Amino acid sequence: MRNLVHTTIAASAAVVVLLLAAAPAPAQSSSYRPPRAPDGHADLSGIYEALNTANWDLEDHSPQPGTMWQTGAIGSEPAGSSVVEGGTIPYKPEALEKKKVNFANRRTNDPEAKCYMPGIPRANYMPYPFQIVQTPRGIMFVYEFASANRLVNMGKPEEAGSDTWMGTNNGHWEGDTLVVDVTGLNGLAWFDRAGDFGGKQLHVVERYSRPDPYHLNYEATIEDPTVFTRPWKISMPLYRRVEKNAQLLEFKCVEFVEELLYGQYKKQPAK
Amino acid sequence: MRTRLAMVAAAAGLLLAVSPAWAHHAFQAEFDSSKPVHLTGTVTDMEWINPHSWIHIDVKNPDGTVTNWMVECGSPNIMLRRGFTKRSLEVGTELTIQGYQAKNGTNRANGSSVTFKDGRKLFVGGSNPDIPPDQK
Amino acid sequence: MNTRLLLLTTAIAGVILPEASGQFAKPWTPPKTPWGDPDLQGMWPGNMGVPLQRPEKLGNRATLTDEEFAQKEAQARKQAEVDSKSTAASDSKTTIGPPSYWVERGTPTRQTSLIIDPPNGRLPPLTPEEQKLRKEARGGKGFPGEWRGQADSVDDLNIYYRCITRGVLGSIIPVVYNNGNEILQAPGLVIIRNEMIHETRVIPLDGRPHLNPAIRQYMGDSRGHWEGNTLVIETTNFTDEDAIGSNGAGYPGDPGHHSADLKLTERLTRVAADTLNYQATIDDPKTWTKPWTILIPLHKNDHYQLLEYACHEGNIAMGDILSGARAEERKETK
Repeated sequence: MRNLVHTTIAASAAVVVLLLAAAPAPAQSSSYRPPRAPDGHADLSGIYEALNTANWDLEDHSPQPGTMWQTGAIGSEPAGSSVVEGGTIPYKPEALEKKKVNFANRRTNDPEAKCYMPGIPRANYMPYPFQIVQTPRGIMFVYEFASANRLVNMGKPEEAGSDTWMGTNNGHWEGDTLVVDVTGLNGLAWFDRAGDFGGKQLHVVERYSRPDPYHLNYEATIEDPTVFTRPWKISMPLYRRVEKNAQLLEFKCVEFVEELLYGQYKKQPAK
Repeated sequence: MRTRLAMVAAAAGLLLAVSPAWAHHAFQAEFDSSKPVHLTGTVTDMEWINPHSWIHIDVKNPDGTVTNWMVECGSPNIMLRRGFTKRSLEVGTELTIQGYQAKNGTNRANGSSVTFKDGRKLFVGGSNPDIPPDQK
Repeated sequence: MNTRLLLLTTAIAGVILPEASGQFAKPWTPPKTPWGDPDLQGMWPGNMGVPLQRPEKLGNRATLTDEEFAQKEAQARKQAEVDSKSTAASDSKTTIGPPSYWVERGTPTRQTSLIIDPPNGRLPPLTPEEQKLRKEARGGKGFPGEWRGQADSVDDLNIYYRCITRGVLGSIIPVVYNNGNEILQAPGLVIIRNEMIHETRVIPLDGRPHLNPAIRQYMGDSRGHWEGNTLVIETTNFTDEDAIGSNGAGYPGDPGHHSADLKLTERLTRVAADTLNYQATIDDPKTWTKPWTILIPLHKNDHYQLLEYACHEGNIAMGDILSGARAEERKETK
């Protein structure tokens, strides 16, 4: 009888050990399997927004005044840690000089201030939501800012006849990670409000994955041999907008910048 | 040409489409009908942008100096769908432009007629082109 | 749904589009998406050539006779010939208007007008309030619309010249170029992309309520649902800053300015493999005394490339129009 009890206890203990070993690890990307889209791939669809200060400055930045003291704290820049792997962007010396000129003139020259489409990668970390919709015709990215948008082609890669603000986007899956190869960017968008920029040979490769129900992991490898000494990478989480009935609203913004762009040409009242 | 257009338009009256919105903006608002220009120059850049693409050309003036002009063309989307790409117009190509200068006096003109050195029209080919409305 | 309109749209589709003609007795059933919605996906570029309003002489006729249509086709061919000559000839007269190579002309169809209701294909009358509003807008200058020689500020130029938007209807009523329309679908959503000006309408089908009335948008706020194989989209929450006709600018003769109370009901039905009937009812009792309905048959063309139309970013003309007006004023004062 005792042997049977001992054996049972030992067996139970063994089972318990096995069960403990198989217990799910605390929430880690490796164990979460995103739900499936109708085509069987991971479903990344949803409304997302970045919650960092990358749009102010991709690199480390202290808190500092903005470009117009009249806006007080509202227009001032919060501090933030770099989202760049390795910390700094590897500019060529002449390009770094251009970045400094951009920074000095950012109030008028930042394409965001002019309500120009933000390009890639910046569109993905603006302080406005964007929506990913996976469809049989490709993966749509719809951005609230300036009604910018892009359709990622998931079929045979296509080349662009000309360069555009939101680029030519060819995508494919690597497991549950969406990889988007972005070419045909016109080099006119900035990467942030600090004047960081790419040129006409800009090439961005993005990776989107869903580590849990409420986030995306976003990575982008950026290269342009006319501007940078080597490719470099940014990464950040993107947060799902979980409000009931969340939707993108309209921010065409053109009508808010006409005074900035054309005010100097207005007819002045007769004196 | 003018009379023939008027005849076609009159005959078409009832059955053709009513006059659609021509292009992006009223040309008379931007360009000066009293300042026709006839430019010959070499391409320095082509901006394939909307709402109008722009060809930049270096024009040699009679006194030997060079002026860079910007020539306004159509929406690139149409051209791209006809098979033209950013590589279709090479830097250094010689072009002749007929158009009208911008009202604000800058070196910008609308590219009403854009031809290669040999007289061939740029952007010819593809689907039905249209008649510009006559300006009185 | 209004039976008369249904019969009318099917009849028009049958006459204009031979593929659909055999289907009058037996409506065509579209395939379904993998999740079971009627499949409207594809590229459906617009085809210019049908006037918004029907010439009065055609009365209540929604389609041209064979003879009239043959005439229309012949005229289109003649026009194309003349255009080709003017484009190809290196010594063609230059005008201050856009040259002929800029356009993507459509192919003639038998439809006599986009407006199919009222039955005469013409707009219902404006309300007295709207007539007064149009006369008194901007201190008596009226709404911007077609450029009439003034460019004191951007307010004198219409919403399309300013590259803001063409509005919902302005983005789909066919014009001289860039009539790209693409429909994409996902579970619970339909997306309509319009090429000009890079609009992306993400339309939920889950029955959620509209935005609260305090939020107004140029493109309104859309909600969709299926009625059989027809996608019905109801849009409210408009501003009153775009117009109907001529790229959302509203030229003389166009429907023009609408109020913020506009309720737009669109009905999209795929009546044949390559034909999508786009129908829209404009219900704005502040502006027009009766609702009116347009029908735009759209023809599938998956070779059509819908390209980026970044308008505002390249709007050099806006600065030039304004500075040109200032230059002319300086000349006059000399």
